[in-house]
Amino acid sequence: MRTGKDIFENIGKDRPSVPEGYFNDLKARLYSIPAESAKTHPGPWSRVRPYLALAASFAAIVLIGNAILKDTTKNQSSDQFFGENSYADIISITNPGILYDFEELDVEEISDDDIINYLIETGVRAEHLAYAGDQY
Amino acid sequence: MTDKEILDLYQSGQRERAFTEIVDSYSERLYWHVRRFLCSHDDTDDLVQEIFLKIWNSLPSFRGESQLYTWIYRIATNESLNFLQKQKIRTALRFESISSKLEEKIDEDTGVDGDEAQRILMKAVQRLPSKQRTVFIMRWFDELSYEDISEILGTSVGALKASYHFAAEKIKASLEKNIK
Repeated sequence: MRTGKDIFENIGKDRPSVPEGYFNDLKARLYSIPAESAKTHPGPWSRVRPYLALAASFAAIVLIGNAILKDTTKNQSSDQFFGENSYADIISITNPGILYDFEELDVEEISDDDIINYLIETGVRAEHLAYAGDQY
Repeated sequence: MTDKEILDLYQSGQRERAFTEIVDSYSERLYWHVRRFLCSHDDTDDLVQEIFLKIWNSLPSFRGESQLYTWIYRIATNESLNFLQKQKIRTALRFESISSKLEEKIDEDTGVDGDEAQRILMKAVQRLPSKQRTVFIMRWFDELSYEDISEILGTSVGALKASYHFAAEKIKASLEKNIK
């Protein structure tokens, strides 16, 4: 019976057994690691290839997207563009206070000439200006 | 061949010969080091090969800031702890505990001879917290100095001595309880 402080020391450090000749076999397998590694180790081209493929895919997406965008925007004339995007200004001209709450500010009175100049600047057609002139 | 001679050999371009010398110097020592962690001949055999593959692949980046000896032991220890960590996750997914799994391996391991006390000792070691187990294996079984263990694990000598003391006390208690 082993008791007290000695119990720990008495057990010793016996090693579990291994198959006979195991360490020679293990060493033989380990010696072949450099040769095996050279066979399976990818060269520089193999390492770079996935990154190049990723970059090429990204470039292709950008080019195709750009081509599609150009194709759809070139069919749209500038008149259509102004026709679709000028309406928002009507509100600010007729009653800017709705958007900007200018009613309490001391805003300088807008003259007819100011209105006509503004319409010319925003690309309103001459026929529309003539119609506006008739109204006055 | 000394570690310095091995490194000189490697730096002179004889890389494969240097690696052969590393295998000759360290394969058996690392086998026993890893086996104390893994408690299984088959797992140890697989992991030792992975460790030497890692050593071969990492040798070009070895800058000589630490000794070759401690660098190799650091790789082996980290790989062993990573292996156990993966096993811990696997066993947790099956609602088992890693220490009971390792105890089963100690019982199943045909390499462990009939000495019941050795079995109880190994089981007690596996029940230790990871840090204490690592320090105990390196100090008691591998007989590394505290200074070398400190360099391998990046822990102060004082902390290592404390860990070893607690580990040894727990193991003594376990042995006294289980050995009649």
